[in-house]
Amino acid sequence: MANLDESRFGTRDAFGVYQPKEPIKYAPISDWPPRPGAVWRWLVGWPGFVLPWHLLYTCIAVATWLWLTPPIATMADFSTGWILTILARNYVLVVVYYGLWHGRLYLQKAQGTATKYNARFPEGKNDSFLWNNQLLDNLTFALASGVPIMTAYEVLGHWLYANGLAPMVQITSLGGLVWVGVLLLTVPFWTEVHFYVVHRLIHWPPLYRAVHHLHHRNVNPTPWSGISMHPIEHLLYFSVILGACLIPAHPIVMLAIIMRSGLGPGHGHAGFEQMATPGGGIAAVGDFPHYLHHKYFEVNYANELIPLDRWFGSFHDGSEAADARLHARMKRKAGRGRTGKAN
Amino acid sequence: MSENWVRACAVGDVDKEDVIEVTLLGRKIAVYRDKVGEFFATEATCTHEHVSLCGGLVVGDVIECPKHNGRFNYKTGVALRAPVIHDLETYPAKRHGDDVFVAL
Repeated sequence: MANLDESRFGTRDAFGVYQPKEPIKYAPISDWPPRPGAVWRWLVGWPGFVLPWHLLYTCIAVATWLWLTPPIATMADFSTGWILTILARNYVLVVVYYGLWHGRLYLQKAQGTATKYNARFPEGKNDSFLWNNQLLDNLTFALASGVPIMTAYEVLGHWLYANGLAPMVQITSLGGLVWVGVLLLTVPFWTEVHFYVVHRLIHWPPLYRAVHHLHHRNVNPTPWSGISMHPIEHLLYFSVILGACLIPAHPIVMLAIIMRSGLGPGHGHAGFEQMATPGGGIAAVGDFPHYLHHKYFEVNYANELIPLDRWFGSFHDGSEAADARLHARMKRKAGRGRTGKAN
Repeated sequence: MSENWVRACAVGDVDKEDVIEVTLLGRKIAVYRDKVGEFFATEATCTHEHVSLCGGLVVGDVIECPKHNGRFNYKTGVALRAPVIHDLETYPAKRHGDDVFVAL
């Protein structure tokens, strides 16, 4: 088993709950007064804005466009050949990517529970889930609904580009290349805003009960939980893909959104703060804000890039003081006639 | 012994700093034993979602729900941490000989 001293990065309480040492902070771009040095370190540091995730998903998008996507001229008609090619490619990408995360952390248990937020691994049998098993349930919704719906949006996007119905920038010119580069840098911002809006929408109690509850059954999430959603949630969540067709852009931008929204939930739900890498290193992989969202429901709807939760009063930085504020807020809401129970 | 006291379990059924679930008069009851050996009882189902608390951890005077990690003081029933906000119902419990009784 990989040697990882979790006390370097956080503390574990008597109940086994692991808490990172540092409270959750937003990206320094929203700090006032501005802190240029902090912004620079955030831009080029690890973990930061570019490294590792944004660069990884952008590289996968570029490679996918270059080598794993049919020529655009062939995608002007909805024919099964290219559609099935893209579907198969997306299945392979998702299975390999999520499989690597799950395999190392939950099958191989390469670092045991070191830096795992919840000290327990999910139970083998759990009647909250389809097939009485969290993994089988997650695989079912991810592969039977998630990948096909994500692919359907991608297919529609390629068809719009191929028919000139979506404005496509040519990357053979310097101006086009620079514009696409700028768009690629902004992908995390618009995916976060879209995610926040959709996420708030599906926390509206009727939609929560009918749709989002399925994802929230994963109170001890694993990588596969990330993309395990109700089909209606997949439809809403992956609709961000078509954003690349509304402005002058390029299919690479659309693919960058797909990789970020389709693969990103894998590490976002891994449930570990740090990962011992096969080479003996340690990589910061955690998404503690989203783990808190799964735990407390009413906090941290967005990520840490744009302070949306701070602006709208749902930010939880992981501290005991934030716990107390949340508890008081929920009690006040219950006192105004709401049930207070998870809907 | 008052007639509303119901035998819940044997003393040895519950370890110190642990909890078990019993069904008494058709109601699911959690029976706790603290670190000095005193017994306590609450409703067994978390007030947040329909989950038995008895799969949770007992540390000190606190029981943690195994599902969402909400915490209660099992001696007073008070909900301590989100997402639980409604207190647990508590019942008097006592040891009599080798048995534990709960008043319903």
